[in-house]
Amino acid sequence: MTSASSLTQRLVICATLIIGLVLAMMPMSVGVAVWRPDWPLLILIYWIIALPHRISIGIAFLLGVAVDILLGSTFGIHAGAYALVAYTAARHYQRVRNFSLLHQALLVMVLVLVERSLVYIIEYYLHNAPLMYRYFWPALSSALVWPWLFLILRKIRRRFQMV
Amino acid sequence: MNPLFVQTVSLRFRLTLALLLAFLLIVLDHRLSVMQPTRMFLNSLVSPVQYLAVVPEQIFDRVSDTLQSRRTLRAENERLSLSMLEMQGQMQRFQFLVQENERLRNLLATEAREDSLRMVTEVIAVDSDAFSHQVVVNKGTAHGVYIGQPVLDERGIVGQVTSVGLTTARVLLLSDQSHAVPTRSERSGIRVVVQGVGDTNQLELMHVPHSTELREGDLLLSSGLGGVFPEGYPVARIQRIIRDESLPFARVTATPVAALDRIRMLLLIWEPDGEFQPVYRPLQRALENLRRNGQNASEEATELLRDEEPDATEQEDAL
Repeated sequence: MTSASSLTQRLVICATLIIGLVLAMMPMSVGVAVWRPDWPLLILIYWIIALPHRISIGIAFLLGVAVDILLGSTFGIHAGAYALVAYTAARHYQRVRNFSLLHQALLVMVLVLVERSLVYIIEYYLHNAPLMYRYFWPALSSALVWPWLFLILRKIRRRFQMV
Repeated sequence: MNPLFVQTVSLRFRLTLALLLAFLLIVLDHRLSVMQPTRMFLNSLVSPVQYLAVVPEQIFDRVSDTLQSRRTLRAENERLSLSMLEMQGQMQRFQFLVQENERLRNLLATEAREDSLRMVTEVIAVDSDAFSHQVVVNKGTAHGVYIGQPVLDERGIVGQVTSVGLTTARVLLLSDQSHAVPTRSERSGIRVVVQGVGDTNQLELMHVPHSTELREGDLLLSSGLGGVFPEGYPVARIQRIIRDESLPFARVTATPVAALDRIRMLLLIWEPDGEFQPVYRPLQRALENLRRNGQNASEEATELLRDEEPDATEQEDAL
């Protein structure tokens, strides 16, 4: 592995994460937007499972801060939640890799649920946020898009020969 | 090949560190609000993502614009010129009223009000955080936007700026739970505070006694008391008044005048002699300067002319 190709690999990972952020920010009608999958988190989970020694809690934290800025929420909320999800994924990456896509999708649903619950709990303590069930619906849509996202990202990973 | 058993720092340690950092950030941002300058910098840093996110929508809009038929365009043109005519008719009367108001104010020896400065801005991201009502607009410090600046749409007050980046700003909407506006009823002059409840088409009036003179359908105008919003802009219309004697205050709900759920173009407002001033686009500014310089030149010319014949002007003054 030459250093140049390692640089392109890093750029590819960055690009996918940025695409995730763009997808998360894209304006949509309200009816569709409540079903918007948690793109940045999904892409992060994929890279953690695929390359646990390169993408881990540090990147998750930074991505979380980026999400915080983009969403305009209090700094650190998404950062902390993303770090926790990243920890879970990085701890069990070997097991998760051997799951079937369906299994993985279910796991992703749980992870997104955990992340959203954490964010909600912190928001509740900070701003007395009301409980909205529609905030948790994306867990379902995230599970639905996971298999496709997984296959696309795997194709990208193999294309750039990332181990 | 990747080494298998090299783990420099344990995962658990990293997690603890990350969670501690996150906690620190939350405390710093929420309790101490020392992050404002950092936030400004980071907002500018991530603004490309926001601009990128609206590209598909803009392309779609442009395509649908170009695909519009000649007939719809002509109909729209006709409608617009009609409403323009109507507006101009109203404007004439408005000009007259402004002058009259100024005269009356002079008679009463009160300060005359100056016109505020405006800038049109476009919303580039809506309702991104589920727990607060905010929009992001495409103007920032580069255009003179400041924190606490009032934002309107064509019907009434929309909200205020809560954080700014170089080319983006975040606007907190009236309907956010943490937002309140001091208002005055148009009909009776009663002062009430209008508070958001986290619903885009409902607001609540705080601390209204049961014996209030407010009525359903009353228009509430900003009173200018909070120092954020200028006086006299429409805020909300009273929807329902529930007088339940078992509660300490009457429950009054109102609907915002601005269409908060489909905002697209907004107006940023500057005080005419405030600390912050709008920065228009370089081209526009250059044109303005050119015009002003031209005027200056002509003014100098007239002054020179006047100097030559001082008697005439003095006579005019005396008259």
